[in-house]
This record gives sequence, structure tokens and C-alpha cells, in this order.
Amino acid sequence: MNLLKITDLQTHFVFHDIDNYRREARALNKVNLNLNRGEIVGIVGETGAGKSLTAQSICGLLRPPAKVVGGSVLFLGKELLSLAEEDLNDIRGAEIGMVVQNPKSSLDPLTRIGDQLVRIHQTHTASAISVARSKAIAMMHAVGIPDPEKRFSAWPHELSGGMAQRVLIAMALMNEPKLLIADEPTTGLDVTVQAQILELLKDLVRRFEMGTIIITHDLGIVAHYCDKVAVMFAGEIVEYGTVTDIFRRPGHPYTKQLLASTPEKLKLNEAGSLGGQPPDLFNLPEGCLSQDRCSLASDQCRTPPPVITLETGQTVRCHFALQ
Amino acid sequence: MVLPLLIGVVFVTFMLVRVGGLDPVGLLAGPTATAEEFTMIRKDLGLDQPLWKQFLIYGGQVIQGDLGESWLSNRPVLEDITTRSFISLELLFWGIGLGAAIGIPVGLRAAFKPNGRFDQVTRIISLLGFSIPTYWLGLVMLFVFFYLLGWAPPGMGRISLMVSPPQFVTGSYLIDGLIEANWEAANSALTHLILPVLCLAIVSAAPIIKQTRAIALEVIASDTVRYARACGLKIKTLRAIVFRNSATPIITFVGTEITGLVGTMSLIEYVFAWGGLGQYGLNAIVRGDFTAVQGYVLTLALFSVLIFLIVDIVVAIIEPRSQLN
Repeated sequence: MNLLKITDLQTHFVFHDIDNYRREARALNKVNLNLNRGEIVGIVGETGAGKSLTAQSICGLLRPPAKVVGGSVLFLGKELLSLAEEDLNDIRGAEIGMVVQNPKSSLDPLTRIGDQLVRIHQTHTASAISVARSKAIAMMHAVGIPDPEKRFSAWPHELSGGMAQRVLIAMALMNEPKLLIADEPTTGLDVTVQAQILELLKDLVRRFEMGTIIITHDLGIVAHYCDKVAVMFAGEIVEYGTVTDIFRRPGHPYTKQLLASTPEKLKLNEAGSLGGQPPDLFNLPEGCLSQDRCSLASDQCRTPPPVITLETGQTVRCHFALQ
Repeated sequence: MVLPLLIGVVFVTFMLVRVGGLDPVGLLAGPTATAEEFTMIRKDLGLDQPLWKQFLIYGGQVIQGDLGESWLSNRPVLEDITTRSFISLELLFWGIGLGAAIGIPVGLRAAFKPNGRFDQVTRIISLLGFSIPTYWLGLVMLFVFFYLLGWAPPGMGRISLMVSPPQFVTGSYLIDGLIEANWEAANSALTHLILPVLCLAIVSAAPIIKQTRAIALEVIASDTVRYARACGLKIKTLRAIVFRNSATPIITFVGTEITGLVGTMSLIEYVFAWGGLGQYGLNAIVRGDFTAVQGYVLTLALFSVLIFLIVDIVVAIIEPRSQLN
């Protein structure tokens, strides 16, 4: 059984205009993703491709006007999309840990960090305060926070960005989750701190054998720290496979463009840099969503592209995947 | 910070009252006075001196704690203001207390389910509270509850004339009556308090509801609450987080609300013949009582400073990010 199995997940932003005319932005269109224990999957794509929205849809963290309108998310065989808020609360923070982008504004500014760690542990387990406390200190030690006994009573505003991110990782791991979702865990951190945090994350993921999703727009991070990569475009996963295969032989034209857009490659003046804009989510084109930006686009692309599995095992959503 | 502010307030009120075209001499002398009597009174009051000299004399006296004498009551303004401050504070305390006690929970509840039925209903009610003129509300309340129903005492003061007021301890007849176990006085004070307090509470609760709702909604939309949800915290814990993170802006708002309500206060006091500072100030303005008006405005300025000081201290205590900690 897969740890996480996302099938045809669809999330729309539903707006009602003043005359009650219903408009929908189709932000996620049939996202499919499988994840096994101990696997690290990177989700890459440009801003607005639906990376964070995928994470929020999985955990039921969407707020109106965003709404899941179709598909299924099976976590250990359990359908998450139909769970009530209270049942989801038993899973979030316990079996699914989450690391978010803005650690300093995400921590509760009015609670000492040690108390926040204790709080998340006691919310999900029946352990005594002394047990939770020693667990929190051990976890702070594990994520590389120096002098955890002293930092236990620190306020969030007293931490640096890197320290706050370590606290968030400690929070996510307090209840030893089976799935870890890290939504741009290192955006806004120094490059050196970034490397430390990611090394730490990878190390902990291996140790706890968690399935992990890392959301990022940094291809370097994916290449270094992930086993698999899912490339998102306009709310679709256009290509999914192992990092080695996709970086060596990208199957989707968009992936090729994306890989060619790294600063190093652009300096070499290689052809195929990313031009144009993602499509209008209110008014998606018929057929392939990337047809307006694709150099290979032909009449065939007006029909929905099939998902083709290459001999390497990577799946590509394109008419021309085999060429 | 406070000192230059107060000097400015003294100067501006002094000047505004002088250029306002009020002439207390005419009011004091009466219609039959001769020209000699006019000059005499003018000289007696020091109004024949140049303006700058008048200001210096006044400023010097204010520094010594002498706000001058009221030309109407012939008593020191400071004395008038001190006794009447307690009378007003009683009304303000219960009024804003009740207003906040209603407004904050209602605003929070409305924010927890935005656009729900509760939110819709309270939105209409608070809109009413916003738009009803205070004095009209007071008059209607008196008309209904005193004249028509006879449930409330007439709007004439803080305690029945038949009841002797309790000894001064806190300045509140209700509390003082309870302290000396004078149930008759406490009861009378309570019945007299109800209508004006209700009036003030309605007027103050409306903006508190609106503001609390907006503040709480902003907190609910914050990274902190989104992350707290991602941690699977219980709904009770989430609400506690929302409440605690809203506390600082709500307290600050209630503080500004209190200082803004003193104007409204004088109208309510007038309608209910409360006899407090607001009514005193309003009277002084109408009658052209220079010194009393100046003393009144200065007291209000000091009061605002005091309220903001209290707000700052409270915030410093509950807020770990403040420098005090």
C-alpha cells in the first residue's frame, strides 16, 4: 500500500459575483501522485502552478474560496478528503507533519517555543507533561538547536530565521509522523543555513523513514535532496519520475524548458528558455494546458494529452512524450 | 512627551476660548449694568490686560495647580472638577465596562463564523448602534422606561432625592453603598445607573463589536492560525490562540474608544441630569465660563494621557515582544 496516493485531485477557487454569477479558477487539475515510505519527492514548478495548494488540499487546510471539487487523497488507505475537521485534526500534526515557509510568523508569538512543542505533543498523545517536556528537549537537540534546555523557554521573536525553521521541523517531528510535507522550507533563509536545514531534514527523514514531500522552486534542492520529482504546470503534474531520469532525459517539453532555465544554463545561452505566461486559470485552453508556451505544439495538442509511461518509469503528460 | 503636549493643550484651549467671541462680562453684569460697572468687572477679572499677559498669568497658576475660579459657581474650578470627575467616572466605568463585556465576545463569535447568521444579525444591530444619536436614545429610553412603563426612575441625577447618599470611598454611589451595607442607597444608585449605563454601553459596544470582529478575522487569516491548524490543534486551542493574539489591538482600540466617548458622555449626562464633568463642561461652554471650559478641556487631555498610559502598561504586561520583558 502506498503511504500517500493522490488521484485526480481537483481544487478550484469558486467566486460568486455580485449578480451571483459563478466563476471558477481551476487551480488544480487532476493531480496524481504516489508516495512510499522513506521516499523524498520534490514538487517543482513556477509560482501559481499549484504546489502549495496541493499540500493544503491534502491536509484540508484550504480556506474559501478554495475548495476541493474532485479526486481522492488516500493516506494509508484512508480517504482524507471526506474526513470531518475533528478527525483531520487527529491526523494533522500527528501522522502528517508540516513545515511551512514563514517560520517566524507561523509560530504562536505569545507562547514559548518549548510550550508549543509540548502542546503539539499533548494534543495528540496522552503523555504526561514531564514526558512531553523531555521529548521536546530531545527533539530540539535532534534538530540542532544549541542549548535546548535554555531555548525551551525562548519566545519565537527571539529566534533567528534558521532557528525558527529548526523549531518548526522539531514541531513536525514531535509525534513521529509517517508523512512530512515541507512547503518551501528554506525560502527566505541564507544559503548556508538553507543547506544545513536541508541536510538535517534529509538525515531525519532517513532516520524516521518518513515519506516526504518537499515543495520548492529550486531545482538544485531537488537534485541534491530528492529521490523523485514531480513537475507541476497550471495545476497539473506534467512529469513524474526519479530525479536521475528526469534530469538526464526530461520527457515533457515544459520540463526541458524548466531545466534549461537555471541561471547557469542561461549563462551558457542554451536555447529553450522559458517564455510566456501560465494560462488563465479562469479560462483554460482545450487539450494540453501548456500548448501556448510549447514549441512542439500542433493541432493534436487541442485534445487532452495522454499520460505516457516511458521505459525508465517516468510518467509524462504529453502527446509527444515518446519522440 | 506628556509635558509639551499639556502645554500645547493649555495654550490652544486658552486661545480658542478667547477668540471664540464669548464675553463673560456681559453675562455677569446683566442687561441693566452701566458702562462703569462693565469696566470694573473687566478689570476685576483681569480681562483688561493684554492677551499674552493673561496667558502667562493663567499658565503660572495652572502649574501651581490653580485652575482659577468659575465665574458661575464662584468656586475653584479644580474643586468643581474633582468632585464631578468621580460622578462621571462611575457612569463611564460601568458604561464602557458593559460595552466591552458585550462587544468583545460578540465580535469574536461573529468572527469565528463570518457571514453566518449570528454575524449577519449582529452586523445589523451594531449598525443601528452606530447610527442612533446618543441624546435621542437617552430621551427615548426615558420616555419608554420612565414615562410609559414606570420601570425606571426619572432622569434626574444619580440617586433618589429621598435617599441620603453613602459616605465617599470610591466615588461610586453603588460601590460605596454596598461597602457600607446601605442597601437602600445602593439600590437607588443602581436603578438610576441602569438607563444611562445602557445608553453608553449601546453606543460603545457597536464599534467594539465591529473592530473586534475585524481584528479577530485578521488573526484567523494569519500564518500563525493556519500553522496551528496544520498542527492539528483542537478548535478550543485555536480559539484561545485567536483571542490572545487579538487582545493587544482590542485593548488599544477600547482605550481610544474610552477617550473618544467623553464627548458622548456629556450628552448622556445632560439628558439624565447626571451632574458629572461632561454636563459641567457643556454648561460652561454654553454660559461662557472661560476658566471652567479651560479646566474641563485640560482635564480631558490629562484623562486621555492617563488612559493611554494604562493601555501601554497593560499591553506591556501581556505582550512578550514588548521591551519591558
